[in-house]
Amino acid sequence: MQQTTQPAPAAQAAKPKPPSPPPAFQEGDIARMDAPALAGVLTDARSTEFQKAKACQRIGELGAKEAVPALAALLGDEHLSTYARYGLEPIADPSADEALRAGLSKLKGNLLIGVINSIGKRRDAKAGPALAKMMYRADADVAAAAAAALGSIGGESSRKELQAALGKTKGTTRSAVACAALLCAERLLGEGKREQALALYASLSAPGMPQPARLAAMHGIIREETSINRPR
Amino acid sequence: MITRREVLKSAAAPMIVPSLVLGQRAGAVPPSDQIVFGGIGIGARGAHVLSKLLTFRQARFIAVCDVRNERREEVKSMVDQKYGNHDCQMYDDQFALLARQDIDAVLIATGDRWHTPLAILAAQHGKDVYCEKPCSMSMEESWALADAFRRYNRIYQAGCQRRNGANFELCKELLKSGALGKLQTLYANVGPSVNWPPLPSRDWLAAEEPPPRQVLDWERWLGPAPWRPYNSAYVRGGWRNFYDFHGGGILEWGSHTVDLCQWAAEFDDTQPVEYEPVGANTGPYKVLCKYANGVNLVMRDDGWDGSLKTGSCSFRIEGDKGWVETGDATRIESSDNIKPLLRPTEPASLALVNHVADLLRCIKTRQAPSASAAAAANSHITCHAAFIAYQRGKKLAWDPGKREFTNDDIANRMRSRALREPWRV
Repeated sequence: MQQTTQPAPAAQAAKPKPPSPPPAFQEGDIARMDAPALAGVLTDARSTEFQKAKACQRIGELGAKEAVPALAALLGDEHLSTYARYGLEPIADPSADEALRAGLSKLKGNLLIGVINSIGKRRDAKAGPALAKMMYRADADVAAAAAAALGSIGGESSRKELQAALGKTKGTTRSAVACAALLCAERLLGEGKREQALALYASLSAPGMPQPARLAAMHGIIREETSINRPR
Repeated sequence: MITRREVLKSAAAPMIVPSLVLGQRAGAVPPSDQIVFGGIGIGARGAHVLSKLLTFRQARFIAVCDVRNERREEVKSMVDQKYGNHDCQMYDDQFALLARQDIDAVLIATGDRWHTPLAILAAQHGKDVYCEKPCSMSMEESWALADAFRRYNRIYQAGCQRRNGANFELCKELLKSGALGKLQTLYANVGPSVNWPPLPSRDWLAAEEPPPRQVLDWERWLGPAPWRPYNSAYVRGGWRNFYDFHGGGILEWGSHTVDLCQWAAEFDDTQPVEYEPVGANTGPYKVLCKYANGVNLVMRDDGWDGSLKTGSCSFRIEGDKGWVETGDATRIESSDNIKPLLRPTEPASLALVNHVADLLRCIKTRQAPSASAAAAANSHITCHAAFIAYQRGKKLAWDPGKREFTNDDIANRMRSRALREPWRV
């Protein structure tokens, strides 16, 4: 049978190339440096912002714990803080957690939020008490980040803090707490703590809760109660 | 989970057709039954999707958000002209748009760096989503995306419209029917690397003076990507091929063609367990992958329209009894024994119309659309794993269940990227 055939689109010409990066902004040898050399880039006063940024990213890939102090020193740098966390987040050593935790008391605004986000990603339970207090900060963005981190960390302590915060916070902070509590409930389910998770879902599904979270909690209850993997 | 196919077979499924099929006066939809859309980051590609969306009476588009003033104005003009009014609202802050209770769903067509964070924010605000591809910048974002849309029970349609392209569907049908025999190898075209090479640059462009914030908000444009100085070339589309904004050719093309392979083979819930880059830096490259069940997936740079000239975004299925290959030209090449089974297919342009209709139907029925968050996450994770293997220059073993590489610690540290503050997924 004859097929309906369309002509193949004309082979697309190569896209116009963007301008070439200047030598000062080319990664070059940094891509091939070992961990001590990369750490040296961070501590060398002659290193440029670009060189430090690239070194941070490569340090993260190598997981170089010897670079943690140098990375920590950049957490307060407006341009390089993300890169410092790029380096710190994948380093398995506890010193990376300690460096991020130390940032909680030193930083403000977005840089603080970045550190909180990294702590949440690493699920550092030791930061729980500090994060719990931060949920009541006047800066709603910091409060929301702290709640999200607690939800990611999960566990019984986070559940208690988030459940309490649901009744004590308002507006966007309360919405963020509710989102975090949903994640926390999933963490609890993953740990086999079904009753605690369902209790959290029940709290979230109460009238007055932010509607998206309320619907998600109801969905969570239904999903859990109808799970084919659960004995009946 | 009920599949899209099952829903389509159901007589109860709402009929979603573009207004051009019904004529101008027929098929009017009461406002209360319309799905109300907003859009974020609508550029050239987004405008193409929006042009299809605007043909459906079941949808109404009321607001646009962009960090670029000219883009906001262009989209508003396009929408207002379509509706014959001046009602489309403009925003430069996505939270203001997402906070609107009257918006049901969001079209996201920003640069790749924004896709996952914005989609998750939309889900947290109770919105359904159509999001352009690539849908994620890392494996971690892929998992977060799938988790969020399951958690909030929202509908997500990735911009992988070929899943609703008739020629691609026929190839899948031929595999499923057994005509091709036992599946041996899937081929995904991830070329041409002349456009988007597999290894994007980690360099920066020279610093330029940024325009006034009301013209372009550079900080918001960067969004979750690490800071770098402004250069107008990024904003003009030159952000691709830079690592902090782009996953290279494997993700750029694979988010279509690898996605097609996993869809056709019904591997939407998993990823290959082996990834071996071949030919890196020596010309057209490949990444040889293998699923746990022994099926091979070959990602290859096969040129813009494929060596069989089946068009861009081509893919090929090989079974032990026959093979098929197709692409955006809609023509299907096949082994001789399969040719009698081929039939005329729709023009390629209908794939996107069908894809949008699929989304609208699923928003109404609350069933999973063809390119759901979970399916897209898995195909993107396959691409990310191949990209990481290419960067590492070695064969990697992957455990989909444990979500980790089993033979390379550095590869495991490349599963996620730090997001610029205050963004998170």
